[in-house]
Amino acid sequence: MAVLLARLHGLRHSDAWLFGTMLVSACLSLAASFVLSVDALRLAADPGTSLSCNINAVISCGTVATSWQAQLFGFPNAFLGLVAEPVVITIAVASLGRVRFPRWFMFAAQVVYTLGVIFAYWLFSQSMSAIGALCPWCLLVTVSTTLVFATLTHVNIRDGNLFLPSRAQAAAARFVDADLDAIAVAIWILVLILAVVTKYGAALFG
Amino acid sequence: MSTQARTRSRELRDARAAAERRQKKRNRAITAGGGVIIGCLLIAIVVSLINAAGSGGSRITAASQDKAVAPAIATAAGALAVGDAAAPVKLEVYLDYMCPFCGRFEQANSTELDRLVADGAVRLELYPLAFLDRMSSGSRYSTRTANATATVADRAPGALLAFNTALFAHQPAEGSSGLSDDEIAALARNAGVPQDVADAFTDRLFQPWVETSTAAVFKTGIEGTPTVKINGEVFTGDLYTAGPLTAAVTAAEGR
Repeated sequence: MAVLLARLHGLRHSDAWLFGTMLVSACLSLAASFVLSVDALRLAADPGTSLSCNINAVISCGTVATSWQAQLFGFPNAFLGLVAEPVVITIAVASLGRVRFPRWFMFAAQVVYTLGVIFAYWLFSQSMSAIGALCPWCLLVTVSTTLVFATLTHVNIRDGNLFLPSRAQAAAARFVDADLDAIAVAIWILVLILAVVTKYGAALFG
Repeated sequence: MSTQARTRSRELRDARAAAERRQKKRNRAITAGGGVIIGCLLIAIVVSLINAAGSGGSRITAASQDKAVAPAIATAAGALAVGDAAAPVKLEVYLDYMCPFCGRFEQANSTELDRLVADGAVRLELYPLAFLDRMSSGSRYSTRTANATATVADRAPGALLAFNTALFAHQPAEGSSGLSDDEIAALARNAGVPQDVADAFTDRLFQPWVETSTAAVFKTGIEGTPTVKINGEVFTGDLYTAGPLTAAVTAAEGR
């Protein structure tokens, strides 16, 4: 049992696991962004599809896509995913091939991706509270963005890329080494699921 | 090395080991706490899924089992019919009071429709549907307004068109919780609905009828609101400016 746990622990902190997770999550995120971008273009080409209110769609991408939040910067948000996720995929693949990026590079990636996560969660909260409709591809983006963020942060703490003061770095490293970050991420994702289920559960079965 | 130095180094080592043990103990406590939280979250998710499945299922069976009481002027197809039954043109309007484009349709055409009905040229069949309930933050605005319209149709049919116009004139934004029951009742009174009829909205007398007729309408192939049919044919012209619909009605009348 102890051996198994130790091996699991080792696997979870290995490059293969971390960058593998990052790669899969980023690919999911990219796929979702792609679908959402195509939908956005289709809606733009034929606004008639959004003229009549969507029916029989408890879960409605159309409702979400036509909200102002969906084009915060004047173009569909999903385009950002098309731009950013391939970079993450590149980092993950290169790292799986044992490439080591400089500290400042990984630090920059962390900063930019953190902004992305904040944006993703702002969109999620808007979708929950203001728009009042659910869009499965957007949810996939929310979850996979969270996972990429978690693995990127894990890597950067492990490798000391975050330019933290030494005591903070030591504390963060202990936190990750004790696998507490895994617990934090699990709680985070479950809270997300619970929020969706309590708000839209009836609609999912209605 | 002096004995003193050795003692000090051993003390240092012991202290470090103790600190590490404390750290480990604390981590184990945090892990256990995290595990408990995860367990609780899982239970909460399952419970809320079961609840959702239960309520969703029971609502459907309740609607299908209850013999839904229809308003007095309702057609078998689930419409509220206004105007001369022998009028040459039958105009069917499928709407949801939460649907913004239905509001635009109403704004553009209500004056013309009122006139056509009053002239006896048109028999107007309104289908108040309730499929946008998810757009009202849980207040089921579509169902509440459709039930209110059905109640007015049943007990004060003369005020139906005025109430319909008033509801669209005060249409809430999609995604908001909509007008409250009191606000809907106030709109009805202003539109000439007697007090006791407006008071009956909260009894939800025609909610089962609204549910069954909404389901029935979608089975006939209606795909969105607003949909307008002239003598059974879907009108494909411009719904959002006054004129084209009137022209199509006049053309159908002449035929």
